[in-house]
Amino acid sequence: MSQMPQRQSLQGNQACALGAIAAGCRLFAGYPITPSSEVAERMSKELPRVEGVFVQMEDEIASMAAVLGSSMGGVKSMTATSGPGFSLKQEHIGYAALAEVPCVIINVMRGGPSTGMPTRPAQGDVMQARWGTHGDHPIIVVTPSSVQEIYQLTIRAFNLSETYRVPVIVLYDEAIGHLVDTVELPDPDSIEIQDRKWASGPAEGYLPYAADEDGVPPMPRPGDGYRTHTTGLTHLETGFPTQVPADVSRVIGRLLDKIERNRDAIEQYELTNCDDAEILVVAFGITARSSERAVNLARESGIKVGLMRPLTLWPFPERKMKELAGQVRHVLVPEMNAGQLILEIERLCPDSVTVSGINRFDGLPIDPGEVLDKIKEISK
Amino acid sequence: MNKKATKKFRGFEIRLSGTGGQGLGLSGKMLAAALTSDGLHVAQSQSYEPTSRGGMSRSDLVVTEGIADYPLATALDYLLILDQRAMSISDGMIKKDAIVLVDEELVPDPPTGDFKVHALPLSKTAISLGNLRVTNVVSLGALIALANICSLATLEAAIERITPKKYARMNLDAVRAGYELVSS
Amino acid sequence: MSKLALNLKSLQKAGEKSDHKFEIRDYLRLDLFPHFLCPGCGHGIALRALLWAIHDLDIELDQLAVVSGIGCSGRLSAYIDANTFHTTHGRPIAFATGLKLARPDLHVVVITGDGDCLAIGGNHLIHAARRNLDITCIMLNNEVYGMTGGQVSPTTSLDRYTTTTPLGNQEPGFDACALAKGAGATFVGREVTLQTTALKNLMQEGLSHDGFSFIEVISDCTEIYGRKNELGSSPEMVLSQKRSILPKFDGTAVDKPFRAGNWDTGVLVREDRPEYYKAYRKHCHKVLGTAAVKK
Repeated sequence: MSQMPQRQSLQGNQACALGAIAAGCRLFAGYPITPSSEVAERMSKELPRVEGVFVQMEDEIASMAAVLGSSMGGVKSMTATSGPGFSLKQEHIGYAALAEVPCVIINVMRGGPSTGMPTRPAQGDVMQARWGTHGDHPIIVVTPSSVQEIYQLTIRAFNLSETYRVPVIVLYDEAIGHLVDTVELPDPDSIEIQDRKWASGPAEGYLPYAADEDGVPPMPRPGDGYRTHTTGLTHLETGFPTQVPADVSRVIGRLLDKIERNRDAIEQYELTNCDDAEILVVAFGITARSSERAVNLARESGIKVGLMRPLTLWPFPERKMKELAGQVRHVLVPEMNAGQLILEIERLCPDSVTVSGINRFDGLPIDPGEVLDKIKEISK
Repeated sequence: MNKKATKKFRGFEIRLSGTGGQGLGLSGKMLAAALTSDGLHVAQSQSYEPTSRGGMSRSDLVVTEGIADYPLATALDYLLILDQRAMSISDGMIKKDAIVLVDEELVPDPPTGDFKVHALPLSKTAISLGNLRVTNVVSLGALIALANICSLATLEAAIERITPKKYARMNLDAVRAGYELVSS
Repeated sequence: MSKLALNLKSLQKAGEKSDHKFEIRDYLRLDLFPHFLCPGCGHGIALRALLWAIHDLDIELDQLAVVSGIGCSGRLSAYIDANTFHTTHGRPIAFATGLKLARPDLHVVVITGDGDCLAIGGNHLIHAARRNLDITCIMLNNEVYGMTGGQVSPTTSLDRYTTTTPLGNQEPGFDACALAKGAGATFVGREVTLQTTALKNLMQEGLSHDGFSFIEVISDCTEIYGRKNELGSSPEMVLSQKRSILPKFDGTAVDKPFRAGNWDTGVLVREDRPEYYKAYRKHCHKVLGTAAVKK
């Protein structure tokens, strides 16, 4: 990291690895899978240089388990995968959500379902990223749309994960993951890094899951004398299991609430040309890049169209979306799937707003021309 | 072109196409390094098919002054074709007045349209240098001479920076030979 | 009555703490008692042997991490007054791998069962054995899925009845030690619960071993498996286990992948091979140069 030139050509997946190192990630456990393997490859090179550990586990499930084991040991940890592997990791993502184990999961989206199209981009994991594991659970999903942003949002993913003790998924498509772009990485010393709150104070009577004001409990570090119990069973503030309905409501309620009450700090989005927009395009990942060009070209021909680009897909920037929905008459949601994000947008728009999508799931990105044509059609 | 950039400069798109194993990813990287050193912003993408040898292959460069709004190729200003079978992947993407460079032997039936096609002995030149595998670098030399997108010196410096020492001489000879196919 | 049961009885008396003598209560989370194990279950004896070994090795509870999976065996970690992790079904070895790699300073012990370790988690066992990270894996083999009500497991003996083999099991059962050995485990041992001192000594050796150690405890599920197969009371079951031990370890039985009928016990494999974390770190330093590594 130290001799890195400011301006360089960097691949999206490699930018992810460098972001993770800058964020303080010191263990990576993964399993090879296209199109995410370059994240693992770069981590295997970088981690030994910072006294970290890279381990290629025997399968996708084991790599997620190892990430959690490491994080429970107090070390920032990450894995990277794609569709089939993301499916296999879901049980442990649920464990992380319930046991409040910070961890970062990179999911580079490829064509699905099943083995699908390993080398082709897709955006079909929007709902899986939110609801992939069973049961009600908190989760944060960030979604970059450029190489530079993969670097930045990977760092943010660690910061959010540490702050809220929640699994954070960095969700991007193959097109962005494999893109090599000119980037300028910031000086590592200028990057804001957040670490989880560690338990302090007397071990006697210590309650590992008693939350602070912000809804997040400090985490005990093995070896610090707290000797706590961590379980995937629904548990009390003591860390030990419970099935008492009132207790379950309270502890699961807090888990969900720690994201809800901190929405303002978590949600992130970018607006382009939205001030006077009558048509709003909502897009993420490579599709946000097509939309950006389309919006710019449409503006040149006088169409009042703007772009909202969510950087946090979950929680979705709900308040902002509602506000914009009160201003525009049409919302267009291009996405490389059969219509997933659009469900969330429809939910947030009043009946007076027409919501339509551009959907493709054939392994090809939605190109700017397609978005522009649709904008023109709507504006008529 | 980069030095003459005006307000209207919207960048340009380059595609290097052929079959897997022709080293188009590497030559794309060389060209990107040269353009980047000229202060331009280059977004590179390529085909990532499971058949990385023998299948159709492309390496695209979207060159802009700042970060590109859309980083993938949609309308090609410059196109290199090193295999007849790779022609179809650029159907409908070649811009009016684009420069299309093809190998005169490997692409006997080049595309036709509202653009200029240059058929040059690229692979033959590589063979005369003693290594068919440098066809990709010969092509780069010819392409920059035709397109005037960067100087030979800039490309040579970039090639020296990113090729292992062992192959540097060979690549430098190749790029110059390609350049001279056009400019001499 | 098991030794654990006897000890628990003595818990009710105000016992004086000794610096030398092993008192199980010093190692347990007593506020969680009574424990959930069925009367006659062998798992408690195994737990006691483990804690006794930890005591004799002077391992500090703060430095001890116990990782367990799902099943009856999985519940044991909660009773140990250490850093305990009750993880997911089949994956405690994978969790432990991450934990040990991140925190090589901790003593990492896995408690698992025959279903957890050999069925759903079999992949992790063989790769942990190959990797040789310093983890002690204790597999409690009671030949059945007890927690879910008594289904057939990868170690269920031939012809035994379970809720999913109502006509008698026809799948051969794994010899877990042979499997661990075949996968390259550098320490492999087996013991029955009746021989508590031998069991404690075996665990002590496994904990002291620098590398992946695998210990199979022949436990008994009296309540479900024993009852269904008319194997008698707990004492009868453990006595019959003792009788099935081969008189002398001749080094042959452990090479068969399936249980042949009788057990080899004691230390079955002891091999010197570089421990994985130390080897990884040493190699990285060697290749990069220690000075280049930024902590």
